[in-house]
Amino acid sequence: MSIVATEQNQSAIDRLSKQFDDLVGSKSDGQESSWIQSRRQAMQAFIQAGFPKKRSESYKYTPVSKWIEKHSHFANEAPSSLFAQSGPLPPLSAPDSKGKSGDSQSAGNRATKAASTSWKSKSGVEIHTQDGHISGSVVGNVPTGLTVCSLKEASLKHPQLFSAYLSKAVVLDRDPFAALATAFAEDGLFIHASESVVTDEVISIHHDGLRSESFVQPRVLIVAEKGASIQVVEHFPHLNAGRTFENRVAEIFVAAEARIDHVLMVERAEEALFVNSLFVYQGEKSYFRTNTITLGGGLVRHNLNFLPNAEECETHLHGLYVAKGYAHVDNHTLVDHAKPNCFSNEMFKGIVTDQATGVFNGKVLVRQDAQKTNAYQSSKCIVLDRGARTYAKPELEIYADDVKCSHGATTGELDEDAIFYLRARGISKDAAKMLLLEAFARDVVDLIAAEGVRNYLYDRLHHLLSVTK
Amino acid sequence: MLEIQNLHVSIEEDGTEILKGLNLKVGKGEVHAIMGPNGSGKSTLASVLAGKDGYEITAGSVIFDGADLLEMEADLRAREGLFLAFQYPIELPGVSMANFLKQAVTSVREHQGKETLSAGDLLKLMKEKAALVHLDPSLKSRSVNEGFSGGEKKRNEIFQLAMLDPKFAILDETDSGLDIDALRIVADGVNSLRSPSRSFLVITHYQRLLDYIVPDFVHVLMNGRIVMTGGKELALELEEKGYDWIKDETALLA
Ligand SMILES: Nc1ncnc2c1ncn2[C@@H]1O[C@H](COP(=O)(O)OP(=O)(O)O)[C@@H](O)[C@H]1O
Ligand SMILES: [Mg+2]
Repeated sequence: MSIVATEQNQSAIDRLSKQFDDLVGSKSDGQESSWIQSRRQAMQAFIQAGFPKKRSESYKYTPVSKWIEKHSHFANEAPSSLFAQSGPLPPLSAPDSKGKSGDSQSAGNRATKAASTSWKSKSGVEIHTQDGHISGSVVGNVPTGLTVCSLKEASLKHPQLFSAYLSKAVVLDRDPFAALATAFAEDGLFIHASESVVTDEVISIHHDGLRSESFVQPRVLIVAEKGASIQVVEHFPHLNAGRTFENRVAEIFVAAEARIDHVLMVERAEEALFVNSLFVYQGEKSYFRTNTITLGGGLVRHNLNFLPNAEECETHLHGLYVAKGYAHVDNHTLVDHAKPNCFSNEMFKGIVTDQATGVFNGKVLVRQDAQKTNAYQSSKCIVLDRGARTYAKPELEIYADDVKCSHGATTGELDEDAIFYLRARGISKDAAKMLLLEAFARDVVDLIAAEGVRNYLYDRLHHLLSVTK
Repeated sequence: MLEIQNLHVSIEEDGTEILKGLNLKVGKGEVHAIMGPNGSGKSTLASVLAGKDGYEITAGSVIFDGADLLEMEADLRAREGLFLAFQYPIELPGVSMANFLKQAVTSVREHQGKETLSAGDLLKLMKEKAALVHLDPSLKSRSVNEGFSGGEKKRNEIFQLAMLDPKFAILDETDSGLDIDALRIVADGVNSLRSPSRSFLVITHYQRLLDYIVPDFVHVLMNGRIVMTGGKELALELEEKGYDWIKDETALLA
């Protein structure tokens, strides 16, 4: 079984390699853009690493090879349809979509979205994507100094900015999926706030278009220049799109004294494979906060990398996941403190039930120069079912001597005494559990700035947890 | 109202027998005090009556208002009008007092066929009952018991008692850890809730509380059994002579 998986993985790599050559040409003509060059580098890095092996330390608890096999159709797609732009799409020919084809055809191969799986912001900027690329136009009032467009457009209209940032944060050998996405992404999303652009308006990105059974590798670049402040909320709602495979890479730059508040919510379907690699680079006295919320998806892996590479940075990384059914959710984080006087606070919470698995790996690295670092990390997981599994691995690696660091990881069932206290007040067992689970999860949601998003999540959690128990 | 007969209770985990044939009868509107040394089984009795898991009832029966109490789940007992004020109230981070009380009051009232309270009426009721035990009404937005002082936690228990309006209330060492002013506030609150239709079982280690909440009967619990019953004077006698005196008396009986 594992040998079969490895062989299939290898053939998938070969096919991907060929696809890549078809896309960008097998050899450089010597006049390629820096973007193409960086893509070639990324492809090399991916071919060298391959998909994570079973023995791979950073995928020890996450059986990607099994999932790659299950989604093996992904490498069959012709590159042209892989990166199709918005607009009418040709019907898919190859994959066996097991009874789902009827649905997808009637919907013109666009995934159908379950009703009420999104929120509506009253104001702000709104974008929708199809297969990872901007579809339609940017809605709302875009403040002066804020640019929201496709990466392709950015490369033409803002070539200097574009080349100053693209690929500067991604670390290719950190994760093969990040390298693969970097290699393949032909386009993606570009958000740029010029110096001192401060706005409370939320930039909402609704990733609500995805072809059935598709394999997409989009790329995101977000930059806040000196003193700028923006809020970005990305939503991957539940779609009836079958065995999709999304592999995305995002780079975020927070310049000196700038501030970015970022939220990412994944609610994909149970067959979906979703890999998200985030690289955050921070300048002096900058502030970055992210909330990574996973409420759906089959296999979801978040590679979250933070490099506060200047003094007095503040970094908050919060996360929440609810894993049900056979879902597998893995949050793999690295905070790399390289400079003195920085603060980071990491808090992940998970609720795991049925046959689902929750994995948390949090590494905090404090390099020798990073004196006076304050770095905190906590991971808490509630397991509701005997069949559910969790793995938590906090890693502190400290080379500086004057630092304050702490970590704690707990896994357990709901507190029996708390349940009894509630029942002793007339509240039913199920309602008592529900109250406690919601309270546990709300902790993370409360930390999201955008009220509409918070309320949306409270609703979603209520719904998810009331059918859990 | 409540009749306990020959109750034998063991700890489920290791089989240790804690209650060893306890008998007790509490009439409607009566206030009974149970006194006893630490570890004699007072909280065990309270927990078993409230329906906590982890105990095995090896013999005996408990009839509550004509029904078999031991057959009911904990939440059903509460809805039927049994209330336990915890010796150690539990902190519930993230569960607001308002939400907690709304759910508790709604499920109890619904079960008892009372009309559901509107949000406004519930708020009004909370204000009124909080005042009974001098609790700040702003507590409704705080998490249940989280960050409450020892005294606030105990007052919060009596506040919940007032909100749920039970037929039968058990107070488990509600006096412990209170200074004299707080004790008076709690006792005044309880006294204002005394009525011909509500019975109390007041568990205490010290006689002090019974100066304020004057009981109709006092029982002494030792070694898992009621070993002596008397009027309110018995509490004073115990205060004076200590529990050893009873140990000797009952040893003679045995
Ligand atoms: N859950 C339990 N597990 C083990 N022992 C217990 C448990 N609950 C009570 N006990 C034991 O039962 C005895 C009576 O305890 P308790 O009812 O709390 O006494 P009291 O309230 O009178 O001080 C004590 O010896 C105590 O250690
Ligand atoms: Mg006790």
